[in-house]
Amino acid sequence: MVHQHQHRWNLFFLALLLAILVIAAFYGSRAYLLRPGFVVPAELPKLPLYALFSFARMLAAYLVSLSFSLSVGYLAATSRRAERFIIPTLDILQSVPILGFFPAAIYLFVSLAGGGRSGIELASVFLIFTSQAWNMAFGVYEAILTIPQDAREALAAFGAKRWLVFKRLLFPACVPKLVYNTIMSWAGGWYFLMAAEIIAIGPARYDLPGLGSLMYRAAEEGRLGLMLLALGTLVGVIVAMDLLLWRPLSVWAETFRYEFAASSPGRSRVLDWWRRSRAVKRAKALLQRAGGEARLLLGSAVAALARRSPTKALSTGVAHRLWRACGWGLALLAGAFLGYLAWTAASALAKAFAQPLPQEAAQIPLAILASFGRLALAYLVSLAWTVPLSIWIGENERVARIVTPIAEIGASIPATALFPLIILFMIRVFGGMNIASVLLILTGMQWYLLFNLIAGARAVPQDLKEMTKSLRLPRFYYWRKVVLPALFPSLLTGSITGWGGGWNALIVAEYIVYNQKAYQVLGIGALLDRATYELGSGLLIFLTLGAMVTVILLLNRLLWRRLYRFAVERYRLEY
Amino acid sequence: MALMELEQVSKRFGALSALEEISLVVEEEEFIALVGPSGCGKSTLLRIMAGLIAPTSGRVLLEGQALNGVNYETALVFQSFALLPWLTVQANVELGLEARQIPPKERAKRAAFYIDKVGLEGYEEAYPRELSGGMKQRVGLARALAVEPKILLMDEPFSSLDPLTAISLRELVLDLWADPQVPVAACVIVTHLIDEAVELADRVIVLSARPGRIVEEIRVALPRPRDKRAEAFNGYIDRIFSLMA
Repeated sequence: MVHQHQHRWNLFFLALLLAILVIAAFYGSRAYLLRPGFVVPAELPKLPLYALFSFARMLAAYLVSLSFSLSVGYLAATSRRAERFIIPTLDILQSVPILGFFPAAIYLFVSLAGGGRSGIELASVFLIFTSQAWNMAFGVYEAILTIPQDAREALAAFGAKRWLVFKRLLFPACVPKLVYNTIMSWAGGWYFLMAAEIIAIGPARYDLPGLGSLMYRAAEEGRLGLMLLALGTLVGVIVAMDLLLWRPLSVWAETFRYEFAASSPGRSRVLDWWRRSRAVKRAKALLQRAGGEARLLLGSAVAALARRSPTKALSTGVAHRLWRACGWGLALLAGAFLGYLAWTAASALAKAFAQPLPQEAAQIPLAILASFGRLALAYLVSLAWTVPLSIWIGENERVARIVTPIAEIGASIPATALFPLIILFMIRVFGGMNIASVLLILTGMQWYLLFNLIAGARAVPQDLKEMTKSLRLPRFYYWRKVVLPALFPSLLTGSITGWGGGWNALIVAEYIVYNQKAYQVLGIGALLDRATYELGSGLLIFLTLGAMVTVILLLNRLLWRRLYRFAVERYRLEY
Repeated sequence: MALMELEQVSKRFGALSALEEISLVVEEEEFIALVGPSGCGKSTLLRIMAGLIAPTSGRVLLEGQALNGVNYETALVFQSFALLPWLTVQANVELGLEARQIPPKERAKRAAFYIDKVGLEGYEEAYPRELSGGMKQRVGLARALAVEPKILLMDEPFSSLDPLTAISLRELVLDLWADPQVPVAACVIVTHLIDEAVELADRVIVLSARPGRIVEEIRVALPRPRDKRAEAFNGYIDRIFSLMA
């Protein structure tokens, strides 16, 4: 019974994936037909304005991601039925290379917005959203699921209503993971923003005014000074956000941790100021009062509505009914959307297969192999420096304090912004696009490993460290018998996300248009780009994207997931 | 007068029978202790009284009315304290009042009253992580008392405290029980410590190992404060111990 059920779900997800692929292929190939776009001039005086534009795009995408992750994560964690659909879907969305779907998104949004810049803007916000939302949604889901039973019962025993439970228990419990994933998501978002501001589809070029396009254009025109200035501005924005937002937010988030561990929560000057400052206090009081008034107004409005209505029970039932109505509305919308998807997918499939098969399709197996080789190489390079560094950090609190913020800032500088520089350097000096593309893949892979490994190394219990000291275990022995096994689960988590980032990076790393010339290597990412930007072939897009997604999902199922289960069973530090 | 009656309450979790045919009356002005070996369903029984778990069969009557859903006449105290780490002591104590939509001013007043009662005045703005275990459980007690339940339910409330702290908290509970300003009409405590049961309760209900059945009810007819070294006190302990062993 259960197996059959599972089987049906698997089929459903396969169909869903296929539909997404077909749509991506269809609209991705049509992106080629868009009217010639527009180019943004690269000028120094525009720099602050462009920085603002880039930031606004990020902010918009983040706000959408936040509301998406809160509602979807909440739904998945509180409804078993929703969970069965949401979690595997998120899992698939998280592991497909989002950049491959970008041309389709551009076409859809541009045609939806009737052409012009607003469509491109929407597409770029959408792209950034897809790089931010999944991990945040998973964070919310996990945080709600791991709330201790007692805390839930404490509220349930008081007969607390849904909203109060959300406000006092579920949302606060999500804060630490939400803050952590917010920081990760912004870093990922910057990476994509750079790719999303410069869009060249066949003959059409779309530039969105922003730091990414400015940098790219400046590099193309050979204005190295302007390019470095723009890069400096970007680093400035990222560092400022780290100091003014992420650091204080992280310290603040410690308040919401469930374990009462006596670890020092760290410090943030900005947060200290925020907590002490009288101006802030006054503003808070004012806001609170305004909020109170608003709630009173709202409350009396609801009460008035309830009084006017003929049924007495409405005032208590009204929230519940609204909730259910919203649920049904959403379900209807989702159903309509799925139906639309199925219909377009079917018609697109018919059209795509009416085309002749491009001869490039024969290259797919070799291209996959070549790309896999590049990924493996980048992975080995990542391991070679992240494992020793994180062990060092785990052993030495002082090193941790110095290295962690540097690494965090390094990770949030979007490597995509450095692409022109890397290309310039690599191709001119080494003359090899192959080395350049491995380097570019590395930038999309290494940080995931580093951060997971650091977290793992720092989580090695003090007791174990003291034990090795008291037994006078040789250092090498300690690494082999204690640290590496303890690191294994986080190594795997890092590897899974790192490979995910790597597959995605392939699409921007194997094929680069620079100064009107396309630099490329044989690889699946390059093939996909050629299918989209040079050939406009829906069938080839479908085949390359399909091959890529298949390999990724197979690797996940057959390799990573099994290894992970093994790691968790064998090496979890729990007594 | 009977405050709450359990009529042949049974609870199964899938194939596992946790409780079988428990019939029990909670009288006014009565302190009851539920003792039994671990896994006998004591905590489940307490949660059935709180209306958090519905019995598989049998029913719970509140002053003659069948209970359906959460039991608003009770409040729970947890072994793990179950405080919300992101709320101050004051806000934690106000939680139940907030759930019952009591206006903020009244909430603050009542919370302050019970924070005083458990001896935590001056700690209103502290966060749980800044408190010792004993202080955390004082907050847990204040939070439960603040909704002014008729029946106070406590699930191994002192089991995660060190022995000395547990002694002072037992004294606090007895003081509150005797306090005319605290309108609790009955207490039910779940414990695996026999001497704790004899020290606190008017009636000790001994449950068997899984599935939990009532083995015996023992009335503890000792005046309070009870002398733990008295012969009569140890007599009760021996009797209960022989029932459980």
